[in-house]
Amino acid sequence: MHTGTGIQILDGKLGGGFQRPSAVLLFSDHPSEKRLFAEQFVVTGLRDGERCLFVDFFRAPQLARRELRKFGSFDEGRISYVDATSAQLLIPSSEKYSIRDPNDLDHIMDTIEKAIRETKPTRVVVDSMEFLADRFPKEHVFRRWRQLLEVGKTEGATVSYLFVNWTYGQAEIERIEDMSDYVVEFQSRMRTGVLQHFLRIRHSHSGGVTTNWIPYTFKELVGLTVYFPRILVTGPFNAGKSTVVRMLCKESVSVDRMGTTIAFDYGNIEIMGLEAEVFGTPGQERFDFVFQIFAREVNGLLLVIDRTRAEDLPRARQMKELAGKDIPTVVLANKADLPNPLADAEIRTQLGIGPEVPIVSTVATQGQGLTEALQKLASMILGEG
Amino acid sequence: MTLERAGEPAQPNIADAGPMEVRAKIQLAMNDLRRLSDIVAIAIARRDGLIIAHDLPRDVDPKRTAAMTAAIVGTSEMAARELGHGKFLQAIVDSEFGKMLSTGAGEEALLVTLVRPEANMGLVLLGVERAAHRIATILAGE
Repeated sequence: MHTGTGIQILDGKLGGGFQRPSAVLLFSDHPSEKRLFAEQFVVTGLRDGERCLFVDFFRAPQLARRELRKFGSFDEGRISYVDATSAQLLIPSSEKYSIRDPNDLDHIMDTIEKAIRETKPTRVVVDSMEFLADRFPKEHVFRRWRQLLEVGKTEGATVSYLFVNWTYGQAEIERIEDMSDYVVEFQSRMRTGVLQHFLRIRHSHSGGVTTNWIPYTFKELVGLTVYFPRILVTGPFNAGKSTVVRMLCKESVSVDRMGTTIAFDYGNIEIMGLEAEVFGTPGQERFDFVFQIFAREVNGLLLVIDRTRAEDLPRARQMKELAGKDIPTVVLANKADLPNPLADAEIRTQLGIGPEVPIVSTVATQGQGLTEALQKLASMILGEG
Repeated sequence: MTLERAGEPAQPNIADAGPMEVRAKIQLAMNDLRRLSDIVAIAIARRDGLIIAHDLPRDVDPKRTAAMTAAIVGTSEMAARELGHGKFLQAIVDSEFGKMLSTGAGEEALLVTLVRPEANMGLVLLGVERAAHRIATILAGE
């Protein structure tokens, strides 16, 4: 049994989602957008007709309920809350499960365990473990936490819990990770005024699936999607770059004159739970300065070549190198419908690429092979394993 | 006014305390420049074509605008160098219904200002220059 995250491409990597039952640690060194991930996890379950339990130490259940609606519609009758805030505020709770004494760890944990046993959820979210870690003796927290995860497993739930480390040292972090079947790590970075969010699966017991840092974004009603701010489409003159951008993107613009791109092509992709900004470069060398503008912080490269023109391959190789080292790359061997196409082996030799770089045959004018190429690129950016 | 965050996540949180302070300062600089009545809209973009912040009209796509500005400035810089005109300062796109000023704001950023066609350009240029300098300082101290 799997419990999906609702991020299609990530679930694909996980073989459908986190195995159920399991314990999933949502971890970060600094505050980040972990809660969005947890909320999406819950909403995904609710939409599949599952039961969910949300334990929230920071928000009143009314607020938590309202904020969950930003993901759109789902059956609200299938989610239960453990109210952990009313008692902190000295007001009565209207929830079936509420923590009466926030200063009593055993009472807190008993209440959560009771809610799990009685509501039998498939997904449990606890926001967050650091609330307890900051307030109660370490060994006591660890003992009760282990017990909670056991209860969750016995009842067949995937228990995911948020944890920002304020309090503990490396040894304690390792103990918490050891209790968890999956460790998902979050990070938010700011560079030149642009804030970017990343997550990665750092550790998983079953199957050993791990990923690179995956950039993601959040949109109302859509939820979390994997987001690549820059996919570069490049290649020699007249290989079909602009056509690739146009056919991949719902909406695109091209700054071209007399049939050739003189500045750039730009488009936005939204497919398979994936969003990307696509920048197409000119192919002619005299416009290489434009290439330099956009060839920064590139997530991935789609190198478009004309599969019938061996004489253009040295230029293609040069452009690949211009884009930068170690950038995930997929070669689009375009115009595959024309006679006398080059063999993959020859393309590899001429471009100086190893088997780690996939070559996809495409007919850009008909959109053939483009989605496959993008899928391969996305999978490379996310990381194998 | 919209602060474009790569992905526009729903709730800002303490994680952004440092960065958000930068963004708040940028917002203030934009607000101050916006007081000039001849200025219609402002965007701040990175030189590589990503949007940082903007108050562009609803029907203008900020991401596309940022990419185009980056190309305009990149091209203009090359032209200036080619002609031996020294360091690039500003590109002005003068059109029927308005002007677009793309001004360098430090090494990484650009200040894009949309101006009414009949604007008092002396005043606008003075304000833009001051704002560009201020934004460069904010981003440098990030």
